[in-house]
Amino acid sequence: MSGEEPSTFSPYNSLKMHAAVQQKAELWKRKRIRRGDHDILCFQGQSWSFLRGKEFYMKNKVIETQGLVKTYRRYRKREGIRGSLASLWKREYEEKTAVNRVNLSVEEGEFVGLIGPNGAGKTTLIKMLTGIIAPTEGSIDVLGYYPNDLRNEFKKQYAVVMGQKSQLFFELTVNDTLRLFKEIYEIPEKEYRETKDYFVRLFGVEELMDVQVRTLSLGERMKMELIVALLHQPKILFLDEPTIGLDAVASRQIRKFLREINEEKGTTILLTSHYMEDIKALCRRTVVINRGVSLYDGPTDELFDRYQKNRKVIATFEHPMGQIALKTNEVRQIEDEPYKKVYEAAIPRTRELFAELMEYEPKDIVVEEEDLGAVVERIYQSEIAAQETGTGRGSGRAVEGAEVSETGATAAEGKEATETDSAEQKSNKKGGCR
Amino acid sequence: MSKNIKKNMRVLKTLLSLRFHGMTVFRLDFFGPFFVDGSLFLIQLLAFGAVYANVDSIGSWGRGEMILYIGSFSLINALNMTIYFFGVNGIPGKVKSGELDLYLSKPVSPLFRLTFENITPGSIPLILMSICIIGYGIGISDIELTVVGTGAFIFWILLMTILHYDMEVLIRSVSLYLVTMARMEQIEEAGLGLCMTLPGIAFYGVYKVIFYLILPYGIMATLPVQSMIGELEPGMAAYGMGVVLFFSVLTGVVWKKGLRHYNSASS
Repeated sequence: MSGEEPSTFSPYNSLKMHAAVQQKAELWKRKRIRRGDHDILCFQGQSWSFLRGKEFYMKNKVIETQGLVKTYRRYRKREGIRGSLASLWKREYEEKTAVNRVNLSVEEGEFVGLIGPNGAGKTTLIKMLTGIIAPTEGSIDVLGYYPNDLRNEFKKQYAVVMGQKSQLFFELTVNDTLRLFKEIYEIPEKEYRETKDYFVRLFGVEELMDVQVRTLSLGERMKMELIVALLHQPKILFLDEPTIGLDAVASRQIRKFLREINEEKGTTILLTSHYMEDIKALCRRTVVINRGVSLYDGPTDELFDRYQKNRKVIATFEHPMGQIALKTNEVRQIEDEPYKKVYEAAIPRTRELFAELMEYEPKDIVVEEEDLGAVVERIYQSEIAAQETGTGRGSGRAVEGAEVSETGATAAEGKEATETDSAEQKSNKKGGCR
Repeated sequence: MSKNIKKNMRVLKTLLSLRFHGMTVFRLDFFGPFFVDGSLFLIQLLAFGAVYANVDSIGSWGRGEMILYIGSFSLINALNMTIYFFGVNGIPGKVKSGELDLYLSKPVSPLFRLTFENITPGSIPLILMSICIIGYGIGISDIELTVVGTGAFIFWILLMTILHYDMEVLIRSVSLYLVTMARMEQIEEAGLGLCMTLPGIAFYGVYKVIFYLILPYGIMATLPVQSMIGELEPGMAAYGMGVVLFFSVLTGVVWKKGLRHYNSASS
C-alpha cells in the first residue's frame, strides 16, 4: 500500500481532475476514504458512482475466485493382507474434490462467515486463498496476487490463524515470539510498540506477555495467536476455527475482539467456524459450503430466517423428573434423563415451551442454536427439491450454479444463472461488520 | 537484494536469540547436547582409531593425512550439527503434520527459517575438538602452513559444508512430493558412515561414480585435505566446485517445485 494520504473529493473537483483520476484509479481502488458528509465520487469495480455516507470504505474486491477447484488423488486399498499385497503392484486411485467451482468475491472491510460441516472444504479454500496450496482449476486473486506464487509482498498483507495449529513458541514467552514476527514482517520499532500496546490493551493480557506460552489456557493462547497475527496490521485476516475447543466465555471474548478489529481497523475477515453463534454474532454475510460446493452466499440473517427452523432447549432439574407430558406442539424430545431434558422445538414455539418448562421449576434452562449440520442439510435438500420440481434455484439466495446431482454429488454451472440471479447475488454481497 | 540479506540477518539474529532463550528454559536442554554430542564424537574417534590402528597408509596418504581427513570430516559434521541439522531434519515431520503451513504463510523464506530455527550451540565444542584434530594431523604430516593454504582449506571446508546441507535438504524434500520419506535418510546415513571411514582416494570404478557424483559424500572431506597437502589438481578443484553448484541449483529447484506439490495435511 502506498503511503499517499487518502483524500476526500467532490464530484466537481473530480471532473476537473478526470484525467488524473483515471490514472490513479488503481491506487484509489484500494484506499480507504475518510469520512465525509457529502456525496463522494467513488470507483467501484469497473465504473464511477456517487456514494453518500458518514463513513464508508471504497468498495474494493480484495478476494475474487472464479470456478475454483481443488482435487486430491487418494488411493483405495482393499481390506486385509491380500489387499495390502495387491496394492503394491496395482493401485486404485480416486479423485476427491475438496472444493468444487467456488466463486467467491469479498470486498474490503467485510466480515464473511464460511460455514459447513467437517470435510466441507472450508479449510482447503482458506489454504488456497493464502497460497499454502495451489488450486487445481479456476482463477484466484487475493489483493491482486496469485497466492500460490508465495510472494513476500503478498504475505505481508494478510494473516492466518488456524485454531488447531499454533505459531507460538511454547517454551518461550509471547513477547519473544512477537520479536521474531517484528523482524519477519519488518515492522519499525515505534510502530511495533504502538501496535503491540494497542492489542495487549484490547485483549487485556498485560500480565501474560512475559510468561511461558505452555502455561497459558486455551482461551489465553488464542488471544495471543490473534495478537501475533495482527501485529503487522494485515488487510485480510483468515481465521480457521478460532473458537474450537474454547468455553462459552472465552469464545464470547474472542468474538468481541474480532468485531472490534473489524470495526476499528477495517480489517477484512474471513472466518470459518462450526459454531452458529460465531457466525450469527459476527458476520453479516455468510457462505455455506458442503462437499466442496458453495450452497449459499448471502445475508446471515436471511440464512437463519430461512433455514434455521428449530432451537434446542435444555432444562436441568434439582430433583429427578419423570416423563414430562408437554402441551406445546412442534416439539421433539432428544434426551430424557432424570435430571436433564433436551428438546428440539420449532422457533415460534420456543417461548411457549420455555414457559411450560418453567412450571416444573427447573434449575436452569438453556436455549441453543440448531446444529450447523441440520441447517446445511436443509439448504442442500431445498436445492434437490428445487431441481426436481424444475424451479431452478429453489432457495432465493442459494448460490447461482450450485447444482445437485441425483447421486448427491454437486457441480456448479455458473452459466445458467439468470441476470436476475446475478443482480440479487450482487446485492447480497453487501457485507460488512456488525 | 541487499535489503533482503539485511532482513534475513536480522531474522537470523532473532532466531539465534530465541533458540538461546529456549535452551535455557530447561537446564538439561542446555547442558545435555554437550554430553550427548561429546559422546558421539568420542565414539566416532574410537571407530576411526580401530580402523586405522593397523593401517599405515591408504594410497598416497600416510597416518598424518588420515588424521587430517578425520578432523576435516568431523569439522564438516560438527558445523552441520551446530548450524542446520536439527532444523532441516524436522522438515519431513512438518510436512506430514501440516505444520509447514505456518512457514509458507510468513514473508520469509520457509527454508531459511527451517534451516536456522534449531541452531544447537551445544555442538560448538565439537567444532573446537575437530580443529584440534586437524592441528594434530597437520603436525604429524609436517605440512608447512601458509596463509593461502589455510585459506584454501577453510574455503573447501565451507564449500563442502554447503554440499552436505544441499544433500540433506534434497533428501528431505522428497517428503513434499510423497509425504513419506521411505526411510531415505538411511541412504544418507550409510553414505556418510562409509565416507567418514574411507577417504575418496580409496574409491575406484563404480564406487567412485557413486560417491563422487551420485551421492558426493566421497569428496566432502577428501578435497579439503587434498588442497591442504597440495594434491588437489585444478581439474578436480573445478569438478568439486561444479558438484556444489549443481547440487545447490538442484536442491533449490526440487525444494521450490516441492512447495507447489505440497498438499498440506487435513486439519
